[in-house]
Amino acid sequence: MNTNSNVYTIVYTTIIVVVAAAILAIAAMALKPKQDANIKAETISQMLAAAGFSSKEDLAKLGNDQVLKMYSDNVKTAFLIDAKGDKIGELETEAGNIELQDNLKQENKNIAAGNPQLPVYVFTKDGSEINVIPIYGAGLWGPIWGYIAFNASCTEIVGAYFDHESETPGLGAKIKDEAWFREQFKGQTVNFSKPDDSFNIVKGGAPKDDKSAVDAITGATMTCNGLDAALDTWFKAYMPFLQKKAGAEGVDEDCCGGDCCGGDCEGGHQHEHNHNHQEG
Amino acid sequence: MNEDLKKTLLNPIFKGNPITVLVLGICSSLAVTVQLKGALVMALSVIIVTGLSSLVVSLLRNSIPNRVRIIVQLVVVAMMVILVDQVLKAYAYAIDKQLSVYIGLIITNCIVMGRIEAFALGNKPIPSLLDGLANGAGYGMILVIVAFFRELLGSGTLLGFRVLPESYVPNNLVILPPMALILLGCIVWVQRAVQKDLQEK
Repeated sequence: MNTNSNVYTIVYTTIIVVVAAAILAIAAMALKPKQDANIKAETISQMLAAAGFSSKEDLAKLGNDQVLKMYSDNVKTAFLIDAKGDKIGELETEAGNIELQDNLKQENKNIAAGNPQLPVYVFTKDGSEINVIPIYGAGLWGPIWGYIAFNASCTEIVGAYFDHESETPGLGAKIKDEAWFREQFKGQTVNFSKPDDSFNIVKGGAPKDDKSAVDAITGATMTCNGLDAALDTWFKAYMPFLQKKAGAEGVDEDCCGGDCCGGDCEGGHQHEHNHNHQEG
Repeated sequence: MNEDLKKTLLNPIFKGNPITVLVLGICSSLAVTVQLKGALVMALSVIIVTGLSSLVVSLLRNSIPNRVRIIVQLVVVAMMVILVDQVLKAYAYAIDKQLSVYIGLIITNCIVMGRIEAFALGNKPIPSLLDGLANGAGYGMILVIVAFFRELLGSGTLLGFRVLPESYVPNNLVILPPMALILLGCIVWVQRAVQKDLQEK
């Protein structure tokens, strides 16, 4: 047979491509449940690491089932909130049936569109509540995301964990690899008086007296800028919820005396905020 | 025949090593050798991909239209790489995350295409399979040697277990890619000192 004729070439390549596609499709379908379980356990272990239950390295050594069990044992409740910070739905937390709102890419779009369904995961640790929220944004090469853990009144960050898809190893990848970077977030606060710029990652070192800023990473300017923007965007989206929590604990009084409300009005949340305030 | 097979198997591991003699696959050998475990998984992945791709291409070799042979080879290699990646994602997720893009980049590893073009297209399936496996093994061996020293000196551990005493201060330079290149240079040096016929005039 003439293997160099046009017809033969076209038929041959078509068959090869179809066979390869079929093999890959079958493999993808067969492996999907297992892969999804891995991704779920990974997401949960990032939350647990942010909340300070264990280090990410130790969690990686546990099996998926152990991680899910650890989540169910320690989580108090998990729910969705809307743009006003009001609860709009519950997430299942029973082991074996855990629901997560982990399509952060979609939620990032929804935040921009003004109709997000944002998850809040409430853990119980040493008798007090820890509220864990996700953040998501663009790094230099691909998406970056993370989980921020707040104390019961959401007035102080108690832990953070960041991950990325394809930041440069040794530079941008340090947001995940370097423990000192995420340790800095402990004890910091979200600046309620500046909803559009509520947290800063400062190149050249954060001022000591600024409680809403941390040091940037040398050589990772673009990744740090992306993370800064991600934090600002997501903290702003969570702002009504965080303020409501803070208000419920009585911190609202000081904060809302002056500047804070002004800033909030500019943000266009006056109505919601007053409403929240009454509730608090 | 038996002598030929033996040569097919041993040549790529020592005298014709893809990394130290042919200087192929340097990129990934610098990137994935910080931890021994990652290097072992990467080595195994490359062995599987080179072996199976060579086998499949060799089986098809008489039917492949000459004009589109590179495309057909690429389809076969890409399929193998994606399969390996999918299996790792399902059964070794942590390692897959650590190896990140480098599993996908096996497609562009010159060793795979090089062996298919140079060997599998002109030889029977069994020798082709062995040639592919041996070249993967030659690559993997260098990877493991480099990773052994980098993890030992850079973290004081081997496969995650502590071997050097706690008082050992890890050498951070060894963790960085340049040190992998220096180690690789040392391996090339040692090999050429032993096998003098490899030395250029």
